[in-house]
Amino acid sequence: MKVLLAEDEPDVQLIARLSLKKAGFTVVTVGNGVEALERVADERPDVILLDWMMPDMDGYETCRRLKADPATAAIPVIFLTARVQEAEVARAIALGAVGCIGKPFDALALGTQVMELLGPR
Amino acid sequence: MSIRARIFSVVGVVIAAAFLQTLIVLQVEDRRATAAAALDRSIWRLENQADLGRLIVELDASESDRLWGLYERTVALLPDVLDSPESKRELAAIDALVRDWRAAPPGDARAAMMARIRSEFDRFATRERGRLGEERIRVNSQSLQSTLLTLGIPAVAIVMLLVLVAFVARILLDPLAAIANSARQISGGSFDVTLPRESKDEIGDLVRAFREMITGVQRREREVTEARNKAEREHERLKATIETVPVALVIVDTVSGRIVLRNRAAGALIGREPDDDAGREAYWRAFRVTTREGAPVDVRAWGAARVLQGQTIVGEELVVRHPDGREIPMLVSAAPLRDEDGRITGGVAALQDITSLYEVDRLKSEFVSIVSHELRTPLTSIKGALQLLIDEGMAADPDHSMLLNVALSNTERLVRIINDILDISKIEAGKLELNARPLAVADVVQHSIQNVDPIARGALVTLRTDIEAGVPPVQADLDRIIQVLVNLLSNALKAAPPRSEVTLAARSTGGGFVAFSVTDRGPGIPPDKLGLLFQKFQQLDGANTRKARGTGLGLAIVKALVEMQGGAVTVESAVGNGSTFTVTVPAARG
Repeated sequence: MKVLLAEDEPDVQLIARLSLKKAGFTVVTVGNGVEALERVADERPDVILLDWMMPDMDGYETCRRLKADPATAAIPVIFLTARVQEAEVARAIALGAVGCIGKPFDALALGTQVMELLGPR
Repeated sequence: MSIRARIFSVVGVVIAAAFLQTLIVLQVEDRRATAAAALDRSIWRLENQADLGRLIVELDASESDRLWGLYERTVALLPDVLDSPESKRELAAIDALVRDWRAAPPGDARAAMMARIRSEFDRFATRERGRLGEERIRVNSQSLQSTLLTLGIPAVAIVMLLVLVAFVARILLDPLAAIANSARQISGGSFDVTLPRESKDEIGDLVRAFREMITGVQRREREVTEARNKAEREHERLKATIETVPVALVIVDTVSGRIVLRNRAAGALIGREPDDDAGREAYWRAFRVTTREGAPVDVRAWGAARVLQGQTIVGEELVVRHPDGREIPMLVSAAPLRDEDGRITGGVAALQDITSLYEVDRLKSEFVSIVSHELRTPLTSIKGALQLLIDEGMAADPDHSMLLNVALSNTERLVRIINDILDISKIEAGKLELNARPLAVADVVQHSIQNVDPIARGALVTLRTDIEAGVPPVQADLDRIIQVLVNLLSNALKAAPPRSEVTLAARSTGGGFVAFSVTDRGPGIPPDKLGLLFQKFQQLDGANTRKARGTGLGLAIVKALVEMQGGAVTVESAVGNGSTFTVTVPAARG
């Protein structure tokens, strides 16, 4: 299973990458939304993890563009956000994402959480 | 000498004169009577003398005993009626001659004696007539004197009365007129008056009193002027204060419904309303007033209606959208104004532009949110790194493993503190939005238990649930009710000794509420600490440091969240016998 992880904080990116790797994911990391859009066509990930707040292009805009492009619209998107509240989850769902994972996330359970959000396929 | 004494003395003299006059009149009357009596006697005497003359002539003609007897009687009576000793002497001489004549023998000698007697008697009679004339003159003159006296004394009294009147006029009426004149001048505003001299009598007293009164009036007038000046200065200062105070003040009159006073700040905030009714109506319609949340507000119904019923409005927020486009958040306070009888005559309102407060509020929220986000990012890295390290079993030394766990648990605590601070900040700013909807009690309980299950297992505590059959769903925000119960359960798990039970029970309390109770078998809470439990940053002493420590905000957040959802939180505890925290939440309707 391949994950495209867009996170601007290198440390957080590292932890998330190690955590997902440990859970058996193949992880491709990018530093912002623009890079994520550039790489998505080549990498063809099974799921995209987007940090909500990023420079250049934030998660919101990135998600909107992914969903607007028929080539990438089908790839599930999960947000990494500072706080998981019903309102934010609702906003994420409205954008076409499958859900949110709050920060600080549980490094030992991140993979499980992603799988839970993706649900049975 | 006082005027009273002077008047009394003058009147006394007049009365004395009148009395004297009476005495004189009596005296004069007496003398008149005496004179009249004297005249009577004179007449009688004359008659007797005539009788005597006639008897002498008759005796000359015939010397009868009867005539002689008559003569003897008459001559004996006469001295009694004769006043002067001279007359008596002359009569005695004549009588001697008559007795000589009677004793004399008849003859020429005797006839000659008779002739002498008759001539002597004629002379006596003539002298007596003369004396009578003198008597008359004397009596008449006395009578004239009496008349003069009788007339003169009233004249004296009249003169004295005139003197009295003149005297009264001089000492009484003239000064009184002068004083009256002065009084008129003073009431006309001029204190430059000429007063009569201060004599040592009642008028002097009056003048002195009048002068003192003038001084008093002048002093009073000075005081009144000073007081008025002071009041004016105070008024000016008050006006200046009202004018410059950086709060908009507006006074509205009940009767006209118009603004009767507006200070500078009010002018800047709401401008000046037109004078005509139609213009005013349009002017006020151009303003749009809403609550902070944006709900429209009819200012008249909102403010005027309440204030005119005597209510005081303290610090309520309104947002005024000015026709010129400005949007001004205001803190509005208003109170009724009453007259002396307590009737409401109007209202005063203070409007404070709190744009800057809104800005501060916004900055604070922004600050809290940025800080919490900025803290969260490094914490994510630290926590994840520690978790991965521990999971890899990288620490060969058990001490290192323990230290890594300390670092991890404290990182987790820091995350909780940040979350709690964010919650409290939102609650206090009134920005916490709740999404209350009907929730099945079993779901709420299950979610909450799942959340704390790892902690319970770590603490070797058994979690039990006890849901009353048929308990109705609750009306609450799912995230927030779970947050509340997780908080209470975490506290209970911290307090619970190993191998004890923590129970989450749910039952209907009737009255449309559902109660969730979290019970532990821990050490309990001393009664004196119960009151502090729900305050911010309060933690019980001796909290077990081996377990994850709280933030000191948990129960304050629980209380706020529960109360915001229309519920309540209570605690029962006995030292040594555990605690039960109970949260009541409204049951969903229908």
